[in-house]
Amino acid sequence: MINRILTMVRKELIDAARDKRSVMAGLYYAIGTPLMMCGMFMMLISQLTSPDDLNIHIQNPDKAPDLVKFLASSGINNGASSETPGLKVKEIYLTIADDYPEQMAKGLRAEVTLVADNSNEKLQKSISRLKKQLQAYASEMGSLRLIARGIDPRVVQPLKVVVEDQATADSKGGIILGFAIFTMIYAVFISGMNLAIDTSAGERERNSLALLLSHPISTWQLVMSKIISVTIFAMLGLALILIVSKIAYAFVPWQELGFAVNINPSFMLVMLAVGFPVAIMAAATQLFVSFMAKSFKEAQSYLTIVLLLPAALALAASYDIAPDTLQWLPVSGQQQALMAYVKGREIPLVQLAVSSLATLGIALALTFGLERSLKSEKIVFGL
Amino acid sequence: MHKGKMNLSRLAPPIRRSLAALALMVSTATLISSAQAAPESTSNHAQFVTQPCYIDGLSERLQCGYITVPENPEQPNGKVIDVHFAVLPAIKNTHPQEALLAIAGGPGQSAIENAAGFDRMLNKVRQQRDILLIDQRGTGKSNLLQCEGEGFEGALAIDESTFNTAEETQKCLDTLTKDGTDVRQYGSINALHDFEAIRTHLGYSKLHIYGISYGTRMAQLYMRHYPQHLLTVTLDGVVPMQQSVIAIGDAIERGFDKLLQDCEANTLCQQQFPQLAVELSSVKADLAAQATISQVNDPLTGETTQLTMTLNKFLGALRMALYNPNVRALIPHAIHQAAQGNYQAIMGLYAMTIDSTGIAMGMHTSVVCGEDWQRISPEFRAQVTRSYFGKEMLSSFDQSCNVWQMPAAPADFSAAIDSDIPTLVLSGELDPATPPSWGEMAMEKLKNAKHFIAPYATHGVAYQSCGNDLIHQLVTQLSVETLDASCLDKDVSRNFYLNASTVEAVPANTVTNSTKETPSAGAQL
Amino acid sequence: MIKVSNLSKKIGDVQALDDLSFTAEDGKITGLLGPNGAGKTTCLRTVFGLLKADTGKAEINGIDVAKSPIQAKQELGLFPDPFGLYERLTPREYISFFAELSGLNRQQAKEATSQVIHKLHLADIADRRCKGFSQGQRMKTALAQAIVHEPGNIILDEPTRGLDVMSTRVLRDLLQDLKTQGHCILFSSHVMQEVAALCDQVIVMANGKVVAKGSPDELCQQTGKASLEDAFIQLIGTDEGIAA
Repeated sequence: MINRILTMVRKELIDAARDKRSVMAGLYYAIGTPLMMCGMFMMLISQLTSPDDLNIHIQNPDKAPDLVKFLASSGINNGASSETPGLKVKEIYLTIADDYPEQMAKGLRAEVTLVADNSNEKLQKSISRLKKQLQAYASEMGSLRLIARGIDPRVVQPLKVVVEDQATADSKGGIILGFAIFTMIYAVFISGMNLAIDTSAGERERNSLALLLSHPISTWQLVMSKIISVTIFAMLGLALILIVSKIAYAFVPWQELGFAVNINPSFMLVMLAVGFPVAIMAAATQLFVSFMAKSFKEAQSYLTIVLLLPAALALAASYDIAPDTLQWLPVSGQQQALMAYVKGREIPLVQLAVSSLATLGIALALTFGLERSLKSEKIVFGL
Repeated sequence: MHKGKMNLSRLAPPIRRSLAALALMVSTATLISSAQAAPESTSNHAQFVTQPCYIDGLSERLQCGYITVPENPEQPNGKVIDVHFAVLPAIKNTHPQEALLAIAGGPGQSAIENAAGFDRMLNKVRQQRDILLIDQRGTGKSNLLQCEGEGFEGALAIDESTFNTAEETQKCLDTLTKDGTDVRQYGSINALHDFEAIRTHLGYSKLHIYGISYGTRMAQLYMRHYPQHLLTVTLDGVVPMQQSVIAIGDAIERGFDKLLQDCEANTLCQQQFPQLAVELSSVKADLAAQATISQVNDPLTGETTQLTMTLNKFLGALRMALYNPNVRALIPHAIHQAAQGNYQAIMGLYAMTIDSTGIAMGMHTSVVCGEDWQRISPEFRAQVTRSYFGKEMLSSFDQSCNVWQMPAAPADFSAAIDSDIPTLVLSGELDPATPPSWGEMAMEKLKNAKHFIAPYATHGVAYQSCGNDLIHQLVTQLSVETLDASCLDKDVSRNFYLNASTVEAVPANTVTNSTKETPSAGAQL
Repeated sequence: MIKVSNLSKKIGDVQALDDLSFTAEDGKITGLLGPNGAGKTTCLRTVFGLLKADTGKAEINGIDVAKSPIQAKQELGLFPDPFGLYERLTPREYISFFAELSGLNRQQAKEATSQVIHKLHLADIADRRCKGFSQGQRMKTALAQAIVHEPGNIILDEPTRGLDVMSTRVLRDLLQDLKTQGHCILFSSHVMQEVAALCDQVIVMANGKVVAKGSPDELCQQTGKASLEDAFIQLIGTDEGIAA
């Protein structure tokens, strides 16, 4: 009995491996997605981070030479004063009030005006960096003014706020990792999809399904072999995207965002283990839906819609705003457990177990449904 | 060691940038020679623990741990101490076999307590490599040898000339030795072996080293004893092996001279304080003759209290202000006011130095008495005592070292370091503790080193300039050849305070009493 | 031996099989002749257990297909219409795959495949992928698949549909061969010539019922017509859906 399943699995894999459409779909996704994400993030990082030398427009700089020098010492330069051609000057304007020296001399507050578009993501980091430096300058001057008056500056800093951030360098990359994990889980669905369609709707379209069923095999064997084949393909896709991700993500300068995105071997193993039930469910779902469809094309359009569901679950789970119930559900449960793992938190084992069992439960139910439907004359002959 | 002495030795500069401190104090110790031959490694006996932790000033989660080592390496079964360390994990660890070991100054500062400063300064290195901080034995969490001073209370009122250093030192020693601690085991060499044991246990095959101030001595010892484990070394504010830190008196004098020159060369400062040098001399002369006693409001509590303004307080406060470019900016104004009989600003500066507990005085004394005080020659002594600080310090160490009974470091301890490890040597032109000439001295036998002098930096070049970028380059490129130090020349000097409020030119027509924020006429309902 | 007893099957509102009974003997070629829509394919599918009869049963070598489908199908070889080739497999892989499904182990399947390739003169295309094969090459591949495991009973569904003359001749020779080897051969066709030329026994179907059975000669005798064609028209009442 097992032999027949193996025979069919072998044939499916050979057949699928020669099917450019099946292979390419998986390959494109598994290779393309990490590369695309890397490209995207490399671009984002270069745009989001503030350059070492931040050039801004400082107006009226001769009213506050010390402030200008202070800013320059932290790399914030007055681009307007530079004669370097082609110098990139950010659209950030710092205007020093005309009465700045008077106000300072009197021990009052001197006004500087910061003009910039804070909704411009490319400027946000630079703006907050400038604000921070202005704040630092102000608090340094404030302290020294107090010292000059014989007062300990600590008296005006009554609160010492100690922050213990439980994030790790890995967990700070959570959102990005969440999305990376999503792309991996989704690989399980994408990689096997074409094979699933080809081996079901396609099989019928080629008229080979009836021939298969005319042989001394049980529908169980047939269903099992198809699920196994699609699952193998899905897992291969997952393994591939893991490997490509591991290599590709290493090239992205995540550290510039202050965190790491590490795809290490232990994560890869966990991902494969957790992804396995999802792969089975994906295979069962796709086969089930495809068998319901009359043709390859129809199956494709059905599946595109059906796959929105796991995508929505996984995506929702990759953001912290997700409701707690998501961690018990298939796909989203695994997604959250994997995110907990990369963030170095404890894996919610109970939730993971429940969602994995639910995943397997769905897979099993669909397998039963599939087995029944293959006994149905309607499904087999499309009557 | 307290008070009198402390005023001198607390090098932790105000506004809590405490790394930039090199302490000095000394006294006469008897020569008990022993305990210099430390065993190659203590690792056989060491126990090892590490766990996540948080450190003041850093919100993120770090790894902390300690190893347990024998206090006296020659008595492996004797008293043991825990030497603590912290790892600032690399953001993206591309070189897990490497770490940068940052060594704090003092002697007596805790590297771990200064983690935030190191983190800021070494953030580029940390992108790809762990930063390793170790509380050297006798500092921080590693069997802290701290002498209890009188602290803040009463500090304003005390007249340091009445302070009995020998007695206070003895009291401190008695307290420290109660639990069996042997203060003679807290010299640099024993500490070096602790460092190496920690490196071994953490599994780093190679280290980069950054040493600041006294930390440069530890770095140089590492170069001498374990060169095979080092990739690069950065010496920032160097104490060359050939130099006794007691010579700091001259460096401080030089620091004051630099300040006066700076003010003279600066139009605004020169206009505002044309007689600064004269004023300084006259205040010194007055205070040397007699301390000024006045009623003041306590800088912290605001309560009325007595301030005994002594020469010791005056110069001590100014000296500590020289460490930081921004605090340094207040000095001309403070001197000028003092010359008018107003010691508010001096008191403010002095208050900042009182309870900055950055230095473990017990450990400090062990190091200086063993390694610096005993090596000085009569000629050196004569030269040092020409400056106020040299004299004060020497007399202080003469007393405390006598009590401490530290064995002298071996003669070859003070030999120049002969090495071809890529070494970056950084000096600040305005450094009131380790002047550029000391950096030059350290270069003597360094065959693969470059010495850069940052024209606008004081003590701790990497904190005040692009020195941190140079370290990052060195660590990445493993060579000093390609280092481009031109960025050090960027003018980052700060304006001097022209009154108690401003650093910018005071407009001629400013009437200091009026305020233009007064609401103008209008019906306020 | 294939035995069909009292098969009835309704598909939708149509009575596709109506109390159908016949027997196809070993060592004989039995033709199922009927116009399109007479229920030939439905009948064959029922024999393969792909469709369930409402009443009646089909037996292969005495094994009830509905009760023991696996064992029953083990005794069967199917030459389907259409062929159902896997275009990305080579004939060798294709034939061997089905041989294994029919119960041979890998080694046996390989050997049997080699033999059938030889027998059907498929060697020149055996290791090319099926995509792009001519109709004749496809037919041979499908046929090889049907007989590779040397089943006692071989069922052919419209085997000559779309075949060129040469292929048809090859097929005929092969069927004759199999018959002499003692196989039971059942095929459906709507082509009278073919049936006349090949069959030892003809079962004429119309509207799901057997309207006559016997050798071509017997059928002529029954109807009193000289040619099978006339006999046929007589039997089913029309010549619609039947090819000469």
